[in-house]
Amino acid sequence: MSDNVLISVRNLKKYYNGDKIKALDDVSVDIRKGEVVVIIGPSGSGKSTLLRSLNLLEMPTDGSITFGGEVITKKNANLNLHRQKMGMVFQHFNLFPHMTILRNMTLAPMKLLKKSAAEAESQARDLLARVGLADRADAYPAQLSGGQKQRIAIVRALCMNPEVMLFDEPTSALDPEMVGEVLEVMRELASSGMTMAVVTHEMGFAREVATRVIFMDGGQILEEGTPEEIFDNPQCDRLKSFLSKVL
Amino acid sequence: MNSMLSKALLQALDTGAAAEAETVGFFGRIGQTVQQWWQDLSHEFYRNFIYENRWEWLLEGLGNTLLITFFAVLLGIVIGIVVAAVRSTYDKNSETLKRQGGLGWFLLRFFNGICNLYLTVFRGTPIVVQLLIMYFVVFATTDNDILVAILAFGINSGAYVAEIFRGGILSIDNGQFEAGRALGFNYVQTMIYIITPQMFKTVLPTLCNEFIVLLKETSVAGYVAIMDLTKAGDLIRGRTFSAFMPLLAVALIYLVIVIILTKLVGLLERRLRKNER
Ligand SMILES: Nc1ncnc2c1ncn2[C@@H]1O[C@H](COP(=O)(O)OP(=O)(O)OP(=O)(O)O)[C@@H](O)[C@H]1O
Ligand SMILES: [Mg+2]
Repeated sequence: MSDNVLISVRNLKKYYNGDKIKALDDVSVDIRKGEVVVIIGPSGSGKSTLLRSLNLLEMPTDGSITFGGEVITKKNANLNLHRQKMGMVFQHFNLFPHMTILRNMTLAPMKLLKKSAAEAESQARDLLARVGLADRADAYPAQLSGGQKQRIAIVRALCMNPEVMLFDEPTSALDPEMVGEVLEVMRELASSGMTMAVVTHEMGFAREVATRVIFMDGGQILEEGTPEEIFDNPQCDRLKSFLSKVL
Repeated sequence: MNSMLSKALLQALDTGAAAEAETVGFFGRIGQTVQQWWQDLSHEFYRNFIYENRWEWLLEGLGNTLLITFFAVLLGIVIGIVVAAVRSTYDKNSETLKRQGGLGWFLLRFFNGICNLYLTVFRGTPIVVQLLIMYFVVFATTDNDILVAILAFGINSGAYVAEIFRGGILSIDNGQFEAGRALGFNYVQTMIYIITPQMFKTVLPTLCNEFIVLLKETSVAGYVAIMDLTKAGDLIRGRTFSAFMPLLAVALIYLVIVIILTKLVGLLERRLRKNER
């Protein structure tokens, strides 16, 4: 294993209802440091399941995941510690509605990383400024637009100084005019060298930002390659028909 | 001219006097009835509340009712939190813990079973029966009646409060839970920092209503010879052989307390909604 591999997935399987539904059917993939891996595929193909398996929000039925050299799928692995190093951004933001934006961002660093309030707050304010929301620190999530919420969700995850960021359709719940502002933040994050795994239907973003694109269908990875290989020179028929529908 | 005027004046005065006499007769009779009624009423009032300081019984009864309710509410909340925590933990973690097996899984299943049994039994039997069993069977040797009542009502209330809490936890979007876990919080931390504060907010009105119900339910405490508000009214009735005044007074006191509490719950609800934004 080359030592710049951050996450290594081997023969991952996730079955529901015994083995009737194979959400993941023997998936193996490596994610290297600094890579932006974009996962595409039709609905129900297992994209979310794969992404959510990476930080074990879904417990795989079989197979292994190695993160930073440690096998995190083994029984006694310290999941909470590993998850602290993996930021996750959800389709529906999942900000904590009973806390201010600032509190949303400082809670985990203070409780888990034992940062002082001042330290956590100054980091949070820096990040807020970076996404142009410095003046909303004391607002509550319900007072923000969808695009603002998702930008907050991204910087909330960044407050934990993660080694990798996982995005599950971060722009799918947004009004079209707000998609751009979120993609812009993600683009900036990618260019800062953050390792990212992104499930998205934004093919423009995939082509422009991805270092590698993975096409999934039926719980399997059917094709992977550079954006040029996937979009300009697709090999398998199902990818061709998928692209003809979405492009 | 002068005499004519005075004559007419005299005549007018005469008629007025006659009319006055008639009026006095009519209103006089009504007045007498009212007076009689008022006398009876104040006599009744005196007999039921003032004589032998019987109002103090009501006061003492009210004190006991509030005492039992207050501590039963506290006990109910504590039990409710514990039971809801066990049941929700079982609901949320059974998949992971089952995989890992071992002692943790066994204990959780064991305590979940106990909680289910508790809920079934205490919600499936009448509170009066529970109270009687507590008093005559479980704590037959204790002579602290109030404490027994607090335990009986608290343990009973806990079963309902537990289900209110559990329903509140279930009503929180699972995304909140996942967001907490994804940040690296463990199960307990996620519950404490993220789920429970939101849960309390949503269930607070329901919870307060449960306590209003509990206040009224304590009126069966008289079954085990506790002098609560209801029992006090009933004792007065037994002494004075008049049911109207003491029982009406008791009903009125409950009503006033319930109306005040309901108003407070309404205020609270409005405040919570405003904070939600
Ligand atoms: N909890 C579950 N129970 C049963 N089946 C599930 C569960 N979660 C997912 N599945 C199934 O697993 C398969 C993969 O689902 P997944 O959510 O990973 O798809 P997806 O590629 O993310 O789709 P979408 O683009 O619609 O989000 C689907 O067939 C789905 O119905
Ligand atoms: Mg999905």
